[in-house]
Amino acid sequence: MSVRDILMFHNTFGVLPAASDPNPWFGHPHLSLHLGSIATLFRNGSMLAEDYLRMKKEINGNGIIFSFSGVISEELLFALGDALRRKLSMDEADANKVKRVFSVFVEQVQNIIRYSYDKCKNNGKGNISSGMVTVGSEGSRFFVVCGNVMHRDDVFQLKERLELLQGMDPAGIKAFYLEKIKEPAEPGSLGANIGLIEIARRASEPIQFDFTDLDETSVFYCMKVFI
Amino acid sequence: MTEFYLPPSPCTPEVVLSSSKSLLTLKGESYPENVLAFYASLLERIRTLVEDERLPRLQVEMRITYYNSASAKAFHRIFQLLNQAGERGCAVHVLWHFDPEDDMARDLGNNFREDFPALDLVDVPLAVA
Repeated sequence: MSVRDILMFHNTFGVLPAASDPNPWFGHPHLSLHLGSIATLFRNGSMLAEDYLRMKKEINGNGIIFSFSGVISEELLFALGDALRRKLSMDEADANKVKRVFSVFVEQVQNIIRYSYDKCKNNGKGNISSGMVTVGSEGSRFFVVCGNVMHRDDVFQLKERLELLQGMDPAGIKAFYLEKIKEPAEPGSLGANIGLIEIARRASEPIQFDFTDLDETSVFYCMKVFI
Repeated sequence: MTEFYLPPSPCTPEVVLSSSKSLLTLKGESYPENVLAFYASLLERIRTLVEDERLPRLQVEMRITYYNSASAKAFHRIFQLLNQAGERGCAVHVLWHFDPEDDMARDLGNNFREDFPALDLVDVPLAVA
């Protein structure tokens, strides 16, 4: 797929093409595609390496270990998660910290897979989830950021749950988690509610989150967790 | 008679369920895409073992090194079922293996022990590799 094709795909579907695309430049887990930079690539082919290097530095700077933005599937979750775990284990002596980062990563990505609302869902070709996950470190802390498009109607309930967790202390979060384990699964919940509580438990401080409007039905939701 | 074996996958545990050995073991990791589907079918098999076959005893080994939150809920369902069997006279002995550095796994084991008194649930801290 040429860069023009990828731009056209994005303009049509609002998401990037699949990470399994054979084009070696896109879908690489270390490349998060910033479409604003694409325009610069058209002006001079011989600037290719320099432009991409600039993009790479932007992505992999700021303590970022790993950044992925695109179509997400369970297979990809497994592959990315495994690479992440191995990379973290190399650099971080505290095995329990690595496990906590991994667990936040899994819970966040599984929530994206279950709940992201994308135009692809309406084109008759089946459901595709897409979103963004970034893992990095700031000093002695790790962070996991995730972002995805969601339906405006779902924002209120999610915000309520997040605010509830934000206001709880560790003992409260633990009690809440153990209480929710016992409850039968809510219809249509697909397990996300307890996923958020698990994230809050693994985190070293209250979850940060934000929403920004995209259009009449869609909202971009972003969440940052420190471990 | 139930003799069931499921090999481990990257995100689901190895499962052994045996009438002849009075054994249920889960070993590995648990974070499948559809947790409900995976554990619903396992729950049915366990139900057959303890309700229909009326085993007098069952040795359970839980050795899950990583599980997502939806799996924790599934474990609760499994122990709930086993506790009911325990109340009807089945001697259920559970070995709860966990990483001693993992507070959540320790707490979950304690929680199961409190909630399900008909089970004999014993903590087995794993040696950290």
